[in-house]
Order: sequence, then C-alpha cells, then structure tokens
Amino acid sequence: MTRASLLLIAALRRTAGGLLLLVGASFVIYITIRSAPGDAIDAISPMGTPPEVKAKLMAEFGLDRDPLTGYVAWLSRSAVGDFGESLVFAPGATVMDVGLPAFERTLALAGLALAACLVLALLGALLLGRPHPRQQLVTGPLYFVTAAPSFVVAVLFAQGMNWFVHTYVEQGGYETPPWYPIPIYSESWMPYLFAGIVLVAGDGLFTDFLNAVRAELQGLRNAQFIAAVRAKGARTVSHIARNMVVPLVSGYAARLPIVLGGVVIVEYIFTLDGAGYLLLEAARERDFPIVVGLSVLFTATIIVVNLLADIVRALVDPREVARGG
Amino acid sequence: MSAPLLAVDDLVIEFDTQAGRRRVVDGVSFGVAEGEVLGILGESGSGKTMSTLAVLGLVAGNPGVMGGSIKVFDDGQPRELLEGLGRVIKRRGDKPARKNDRRWQRLVFRRMKPLWGRVMTAVFQNPRHSLDPLMTVGAQVEESVRLAEPALSKAEVGARAVDWLARVQMTDPSRVHGSYAHELSGGMCQRAMIAVALARRPRLLIADEPTTGLDTTVRAEIVALFKELLADRGRSMLYISHDIREVLYLADRVIVMRHGRIVEEATAADLKAGVGRRDPYTASLLAAAELPVGQQGAA
Amino acid sequence: MEAKAERLGLWSSGAVVAVVLLLGVVAPFVAYDPASAVDYDQQLVGPSAAHWFGTDGQGRDVAIRLLKGIEAFFLPGLLAGLAATTLGALAGAIAGYAEGWVRSAVLGLMQLIDTLPRLVFIILVCTILNPSISLIAGVAAVLFVPNIATVVRRKVEALASEDYILAHIAHGFRPTRILLYHIIWLQCRPLLIRQATYVFGYVLFVETALSYLGDYGVQEPTPSWGNMVAQTRELAGAAPWPWLFPALAIVITISGFLAFGNLLARREEEALR
Ligand SMILES: Nc1ncnc2c1ncn2[C@@H]1O[C@H](COP(=O)(O)OP(=O)(O)O)[C@@H](O)[C@H]1O
Ligand SMILES: [Mg+2]
Repeated sequence: MTRASLLLIAALRRTAGGLLLLVGASFVIYITIRSAPGDAIDAISPMGTPPEVKAKLMAEFGLDRDPLTGYVAWLSRSAVGDFGESLVFAPGATVMDVGLPAFERTLALAGLALAACLVLALLGALLLGRPHPRQQLVTGPLYFVTAAPSFVVAVLFAQGMNWFVHTYVEQGGYETPPWYPIPIYSESWMPYLFAGIVLVAGDGLFTDFLNAVRAELQGLRNAQFIAAVRAKGARTVSHIARNMVVPLVSGYAARLPIVLGGVVIVEYIFTLDGAGYLLLEAARERDFPIVVGLSVLFTATIIVVNLLADIVRALVDPREVARGG
Repeated sequence: MSAPLLAVDDLVIEFDTQAGRRRVVDGVSFGVAEGEVLGILGESGSGKTMSTLAVLGLVAGNPGVMGGSIKVFDDGQPRELLEGLGRVIKRRGDKPARKNDRRWQRLVFRRMKPLWGRVMTAVFQNPRHSLDPLMTVGAQVEESVRLAEPALSKAEVGARAVDWLARVQMTDPSRVHGSYAHELSGGMCQRAMIAVALARRPRLLIADEPTTGLDTTVRAEIVALFKELLADRGRSMLYISHDIREVLYLADRVIVMRHGRIVEEATAADLKAGVGRRDPYTASLLAAAELPVGQQGAA
Repeated sequence: MEAKAERLGLWSSGAVVAVVLLLGVVAPFVAYDPASAVDYDQQLVGPSAAHWFGTDGQGRDVAIRLLKGIEAFFLPGLLAGLAATTLGALAGAIAGYAEGWVRSAVLGLMQLIDTLPRLVFIILVCTILNPSISLIAGVAAVLFVPNIATVVRRKVEALASEDYILAHIAHGFRPTRILLYHIIWLQCRPLLIRQATYVFGYVLFVETALSYLGDYGVQEPTPSWGNMVAQTRELAGAAPWPWLFPALAIVITISGFLAFGNLLARREEEALR
C-alpha cells in the first residue's frame, strides 16, 4: 500500500477513536448528572423552577427513563448541538447561542496564550543553549515563581496593577490610564492581553514548556544523525527544525487542558465574558443546561486538539503510521 | 610517500567523571596519507571513537580535547584544528568553565565548516541512529549529492542518488530511495549511510566501527563492500574496528590502541607475515585471530 | 557545582515540605473559633510581635488563620495523593502486564478519564453533588490516575524485556510478586513520589482556587488560604498582609512540594542507574 493510503487509514482510525472517546466522555458526564443525590431534577434545577420547566428538563436530560436510554436520548440531542435552553443566565436563549460565542473567545485566548508560551519557550531554549550550572541561579527562582497557580498570579498581577495605577493617579495623573480596564467591562482587548500574560506565567506552564523544549533540543543536538549531518558538511538547522515539530505539537496538545483549566479562573478574575466566566456564573446560579453544554464543549475541544496533534504527528513522522497506533 | 591528508600529534582527551578526571585518549599520534587506509584497532573503551570525533571536531565540552595538534590537509594546505587550545585551557584553569567551552566549540565548528564533507566525512557505529528518521534515505543522499555537485539539475541529483544507492549494492535502489530509516534493516541502513557519505565525495572517509552491531553475515557483506569501494578508486580511509580480521583485510597500516594509548604501529603486511617483535597485546589479538571461527571468544 | 545546586534545592524544598507537614499535623490541635476571633478594634493591624502576619479586615489574626487554613487541603491532599498513586500504579501495572481485552479496557478507560478537562469537570461535579473538599480531592485523585498509570505502564513495558526480570521469571518467582515488588515498588517508586506530590499540589490548587471563587470551597468564616486571598476584593489596596501572606504560602507550598518531588525522584533515579 502507498504511504498516502496508510496515512489516510491512520487518520480515519484516529478520527473514529476520537468520536468514540467523545461518546465515552459524554457518557461519563451524563452518569455524573444521574448520580445526583435524591431527585436528580431538583439537584439540577434552580430553586423555584416552575413544574412545566422541570418536566421539560426531565425530558431533555432523559431523567424519566433508565440511564442508558436516557443517555441515548440526551446524546442524540447534544450530538447536533442542542443542549437545551438557558434557565437563569439568559432565559429562553439556547445554550449554544449563549455559550458558543463565549467559548470561541475562551478558545482564542487559551490557544493564543499557549502558542505564545510555545514561541517564548522555543526562543528561551535557543537563547539559553546548552544547560550549565550557573543558569540554575536564574531557572531555579524562575521555576519557583512560575509554579504559582494562575489565579494567584492573576490576583498578584491585578493588585500590582491597582497599586501602580494608584500611585500614577496620586502623582498627578488625573484619570486612570486609558489602557487600564480592570475590573471594568469594556470592549478593549487589554484585559485579554493581561489574562494571556497571566496564563503564560501561571501554573508552571512556561518553565515546564521551556524545560521540555530545552531537553528535546539538547537531545537532538547530541543525536548521532545530527553529528552525521555536520560531518558531511550540510546545515543542521532544517534537520533540527523538522525533528522539533513533533515534540512541539505534542507539547502543545498535552498542555492545552492545563490552560483550559487556568483560563476558567483567570477569566473570572478579569471578568472577561468567556466560557470560563460563563461556566462559573451558570454554576453559581444553577443554570444547569449551560454548565453541561460548556463541559461537553471543553471536553470535545481537548479531544479534537489531540486528534489534530495525532494527525500532524502522522504527517511529519513516518514511524507513527508504521506503529499503526 | 604520497601527500598527507591528516596528521594527529600527541592528542589528549579527558573527561570529568564522578571518580575525578579521566584521561581517555593519552598522547595519541597517527596520520593518513592520500590513497592510504589506516586501521585503528582496539578493544571497546580504548578511545577510538573519541580520537575520531576529535579529528572531526565533534567532541563536545566537559573538558574534552586537552592537548595535541590535529592537522587536516586541504589541497596540501595544513589546517590546524586545535590552534589556540592551550590558551583556552589556561584561561579555564582547573574549573570546567562552560562558557569558554562554548566559545571554543564555536571556533572549532567554524574551522571545520569548510572541511566537513569535502575533505572528510564519517560513517558511525550505529547506522539506525545515523540517519535522520524523518527524511527518506534518498533525500539524504540527494542532500550530499547537491553539496558535492551544486551544478546538477534536480533530475540529475535524483538519478545520481539512485546511482549511489546502487553502488553500495542495494538490491532495489529506487525503492530504498523512497524509504525511511525505520523501514530498513541495520545492514541496509549502514549501506545507506555509506552512500550518504560517499555521495559527498570526501577525500578521507572515516568509518567508526561500521560493522559493530550488525549480524555476522551482514558484517562480512559490509566489509566486502568497503573492500570493493576501495579497489574502485584509490580512496583514503580511516577504518576503526575492534575486529583484527577486518582491519587486516582492509588496512594498509594498522595502529593498535589500548587504554587511550597506541601500543603498536605496523603495516598490515608485517602483521600478517609476523615480521618483527610485537607488543604482547597485539600478539594476543593476532593469536586470537588465528583461531578457527567458532572457538573465538566474544571479543 | 551542578550537584551542589541540586542539593540546595532538595534541602530548601524539603524544608518547605517538612514545615507544611508539621503544621498540618499540629493544626487540628489548635483550638480556633473564627467567630470569637473577630475584633473590630484591631482591624488591619500591621505585622507585629503580637500578630506576626498582622490582622485582617475583621481584626482576626492572620497567622493563626494561615495555620488553620492548612487543614482545608492537608488531609484531603495527602489521601488523594495516596489514592491516585495506588490506583495509578495498579492500573499501569495491569495495562503494562496484561494482554488482549483487559489491556485495551484499562487503556481505554484511562484515555477516557484523561480527556475530561479537570477543573471544568470538578466544577460540574460540584454543581450536581454536595460540594466538599473531600469530594473535590476524590475527583482530583481519579482524574490524575491516567497520568500515573501511563508513566508506570511505560516503565513496566520497558522493564518487561530486561534480562534480570526475565531471570526472575525463569527462577520461578510469581509474576505478581515480580510486578508489584521488583517493578512497581523498587523501580517505579521515584515516579510515584513525583506524581504523588503533583496530586497534592493539585488538590491544594483546586481547594484554594474554589475557596477563592467562593461557591464550592471553604466558606468564610472558616479559614482557607484561598478565601483569605479573596479578601483582596474588599480591601483593595488598603493593606496587603491579609491576602499577600496566604498568596505567598500557596506559591511556596506548591512549588516546594513539586520541586521536592522532582528532585527526590531524580536522586532516586540516579541511584537506580
Ligand atoms: N562524555 C563522557 N564522559 C565521560 N567519559 C566518557 C565520555 N565519553 C566517552 N567516555 C569514556 O571514554 C572512553 C573511550 O571511549 P570511546 O572512544 O568511545 O571508546 P571506543 O570507541 O574505543 O570503544 C570510554 O571509557 C568512555 O567511557
Ligand atoms: Mg566506539
């Protein structure tokens, strides 16, 4: 068989695997709903929900049937993106209408922050070069600082900003600087930038990525085939770059869940109207359809990104297809 | 005597280990002349690889090369690889200062850049790890061809690459051309690596234990391939092995290394004929080689 | 020098771990009534001999709240670390040793759990079930099982073909003994130490984060480092100590535990080599 058809088969198989995972993960979510203590419908609806709304919810989540057929009923609706209607947050609007735009913003924020982190880690690794002990004087404290959870970083960042602006105003600046949006709702993209910085700096993301990229780069530089490329007088850059693609893509996909966790809280702190903020607000007000809809979206994103990473790996590395995994 | 290609003098290589500083190459001197095959023989750990890596300018830091001189002759012009090493070491003192190391390595790389490939190139011990796993074998041979003959058109480069793969006696060169390293056997990988090296048309080919780790029959094939390639046209080669029979078969002149020192230097003809007095270690190697196959030790 | 820097890191992070463990054990024996601690005459007093870390907006001593705040995550974190490593080691051992459908089933389950976005799933669980730190820690432990199982499985698979393991098999040792003692206990211990500290750090993170957000974590007036940090909301820039010290405590504890797990594991790995 040709390599292209093998590749196609591998891609199809992985897509099927991804779909299966999505079904499995949604089942886990559904079973979690069903495991509510007492009457499930009371657990998932806000206080004082009128009986007809409760009945509708019961039907939507298949709570009136046994778990399996109920799951099938719920899945067949959610599979086409119908997660029902919001109860409290935006009564009457469908979950997708409320959730999807917010989720897009969140995905853009998390994806770009992680991409920035990747670029910075790569630059850092190239700049630092081969590890040597004196660098530990820098990387040690750096590790310490960036191990801070993103919400702590966000709080410190916001407080630092507050203090900075406070001094600025005291010293004769008459109004807050135009770029300062916290915690004001605004159309400005500055809060997104701040949130991005916090995401990169928090949860140990940057140092972890930096260390991984450095180790990978170091291993490649010491690899025998790179020595062979050198010895024949060819440039090593293209060989090293090509061999870095797979680790970088894998590293990106592996860290996305961490960022998607961090972004929930960071959005809340910076009051960005993304999916994380929406999720926490909806959870607080027991707007259950939104919580479930967003949970499925987050899960699906992780599965899709892993699938894409798998496909890139298969495209770049011929050994992946040979392994047949 | 024909023109020299390589002259190594009093080379010293040391490494810092947990047990302190170890001298793994201790005052080694050897040379290769145009059209000559020098064999380096020695047990595993005797410093053969380190000596050849030093010649290629590929010994990474952790003290590394600590003394001596390595002259590579480029069209008769001697180029000293280790010029200024003394100053670097003096500045470094007893400390394993990495910063100077990096600067030193960059300097060596800059000196080697015009020499790598054109004057000499190498085939290493582990063929599987010597090929870029993400590139087809053909693309890697083509890379060499393009470097050796920049004027060729794309189609000519491709044809030349298949040609080289055929020269190293691949059974199906055009299929191998589109294969990746993981799809080939160890012996085929080593043939491919030899093709990559030869396509670069170096004056001096360095082969560091090219047969170690291959099956016995495949080893014999690779050695035969080297013999044929040598007979093809007078080529200069530095052939390293721990197997005395291979070295005696291929080399004109042999040096024997042990514990980082040269214990013996003789022509292959003299060794075979048993002329002259031998170092006891060489004598034991020779005696072992006389044994019928099957009674030999693992070494 | 390399070794020296590492030893310094090991000692300093070890000191952090030791202090947290000690305080975590002591904390339950310290009597503290959050209601009677309120003292409006002592609001926002700066750090002093009487109040080492000052007092907060309600005049409560920050130092003792820091101490009692450890209780919120200490036991749940330790138990979650223990549970996750035990389950993960077992799952990894089974996946690495078994063949056929058992292996596929374990691998599939692990992959399934691994795709759940941790924090989002924890929030989902909290909206459905009665939220408590024990519940959160339990869910976190389960969510970490795939990570641990993967590293253990790789190790088991790598070791399965090693000569000395083959020799053990040839000597007729029972496979479960070889698997659980020689492979998991002797060879995977560094991995497990590292992963256990990750889980502990994660439980600390989730507890403080949720307590900071306020809905599912520890509720005022019971102290938690997270809801202490949340005082930034009322205090604005007035006085940093009520929230800065708990924030630092979170950072120091998490990075201390992670670094200690990492360095200890690395040292053991070197000893194994
Ligand atoms: N980076 C290093 N650090 C410490 N010792 C090394 C290093 N590289 C090689 N050595 C030691 O140098 C000696 C010579 O190695 P080598 O030249 O590879 O031997 P050979 O090729 O003859 O088998 C060996 O004993 C090896 O352990
Ligand atoms: Mg060698």
